[in-house]
Amino acid sequence: MARTRKGRSWAQWRDWSVEKFWALLIFLFVVFPIFWIALTAFKETRDVYTTKVWVPLTLDNFITIFTPPFNYGKLVLNSFLISTITVAIAIPLGLMAAYVFARYEFRGSQILMVGVLVTQFIPPLVVAIPFYTLFRSLGVTETYLPLVAVYLSIVLPYSVWMLKGFVDALPIEVEEAASVDGCNEFQTLRHITFPMMLPGVITALVFSFIMCWNEFTYALILTGEETRTLQLGLLATVGVRGVLWELMAATGMVVMIPMFILSFTIRKYFVEGLTMGAVK
Amino acid sequence: MHRNQKHNRWGKFILLAPALLLIFVTTIYPMASSFWLSFQDWRLTKSDQPNGFVGLQHYQRAFTDEYFINSVVVTTEFTLLSVGLTIVIGLGMAIILQKKSLTNAILKTLLIFPFAVSPALKGYSFRFMLAQEYGIIQAIIGFLIPPLKGMVWLADPFWSLFWIAITEVWGWAPLYALMFIGALGSIPTDIFEAAKVDGATNAQVFWNITLPMLAPVLLIATLLKTIFSLKIFDQVVTMTGGGPGRATQSLNHFVYQVGFRSLDMGYSAALAYILLAGLAVVAFLYVKSLYRQGA
Repeated sequence: MARTRKGRSWAQWRDWSVEKFWALLIFLFVVFPIFWIALTAFKETRDVYTTKVWVPLTLDNFITIFTPPFNYGKLVLNSFLISTITVAIAIPLGLMAAYVFARYEFRGSQILMVGVLVTQFIPPLVVAIPFYTLFRSLGVTETYLPLVAVYLSIVLPYSVWMLKGFVDALPIEVEEAASVDGCNEFQTLRHITFPMMLPGVITALVFSFIMCWNEFTYALILTGEETRTLQLGLLATVGVRGVLWELMAATGMVVMIPMFILSFTIRKYFVEGLTMGAVK
Repeated sequence: MHRNQKHNRWGKFILLAPALLLIFVTTIYPMASSFWLSFQDWRLTKSDQPNGFVGLQHYQRAFTDEYFINSVVVTTEFTLLSVGLTIVIGLGMAIILQKKSLTNAILKTLLIFPFAVSPALKGYSFRFMLAQEYGIIQAIIGFLIPPLKGMVWLADPFWSLFWIAITEVWGWAPLYALMFIGALGSIPTDIFEAAKVDGATNAQVFWNITLPMLAPVLLIATLLKTIFSLKIFDQVVTMTGGGPGRATQSLNHFVYQVGFRSLDMGYSAALAYILLAGLAVVAFLYVKSLYRQGA
């Protein structure tokens, strides 16, 4: 009797530790790279080129990237403004289109929807080549126009699809009730549908913002000296002696921490958000 | 009634038009323009304007261009590697984390973070961590497997491609794990219990029940990841620059080099179109399976 109980608890203990071992491994796999970059960002230069963990920490690297000659504040501002302008255009327009696609069937609506979906699979360079030459000849390379335009080509189709998923999930009866009560179509949209869609809209907003903020290919090709984004700041940490890793890491922190906060706010909708939009 | 319908129809198109118009201008226009360019001789080093029609010359050139063929091979290898690893590791994570517990709940929250790290930063971060002497991943591997001590990972043609794939796995596998956990949760538990009662082993349950039940989700996930992998670019730039030699030069990176380093716009447009054709096939399969599942 005692032996079986002991046997069982040993088996339980073994199962428990196997489970926790794998969980720990996943934890390390996911978190360790982030931890290491974060640690490097706060290291003094001489400790960066070692694998030491217990070292004095400093804010010097952040001070360096935000002061001349780096002045990354400007890049943060560019990234923020370009992403914000894009999202501010894409989400309202995307929402309007998504609503129509979700609620009405008309001739060609299926084809249009699939058309919107497949635009997401166009390789960036197919878009970048003509836009590069076009914007060069228009002389607008030092404005936000080029990046906002190409980011709309990513974000708008994505948000149409994603928001359509959220509209589909809303019961149509609520809208019917509103129209029975005397709301016209636009009043129903404004007072009933859109407020109910708020979680979906916020999810689309956050994802779209992250996409713009993290985008690299177009930024590399289509920005001028004054419109460089933060992602390109990573490139500029490459000095004559190779990459200045402590500055790369500090820039990396500025790149990723705001996106972590944004992702965290929509954690409940994260998977839905990605799969519904079929994703860029 | 009649008036109301008419009103509806206009409302519909007013709501639809701005988005469709913008999508048209920002995707269909450049697509058409690239297509036209792919038949033109246009080297920006020579002139600001296209220099005339060259027919299919660029496309013919591509298939005898060893650098192009190399980039197709690299992209294919990379896609197989990164898609395979992402799906397998994502599935493994999902199976480990599907049980409800506090640890797993916390871990599931953490899983969303790697995806929010920009691909360019992923590339730099892993390059840093793989560096000889002070790279932490390199040091840990050297500690665990002494013969690999001091290995210069990114100087090796295969391993550099492998590590670029790992940066992708790091970003995507946790996300797919979350997706698979959702799908696993929707399988009725009595199926598993019945199988257990009938004496099925864990492996049998996995191969005969779990995997077939997950097949639709796995298919979508695989196709989606394939599309992204075929477009790999950012990490190639920030991690290896296409090297050593051209061992990690993906198709997208080659197109970029031809277009924006050699400034041969016509040829690079043709190359981009070949990539587009490849993606179109995968995208077609994706849309088809999406619709078959009634999404």
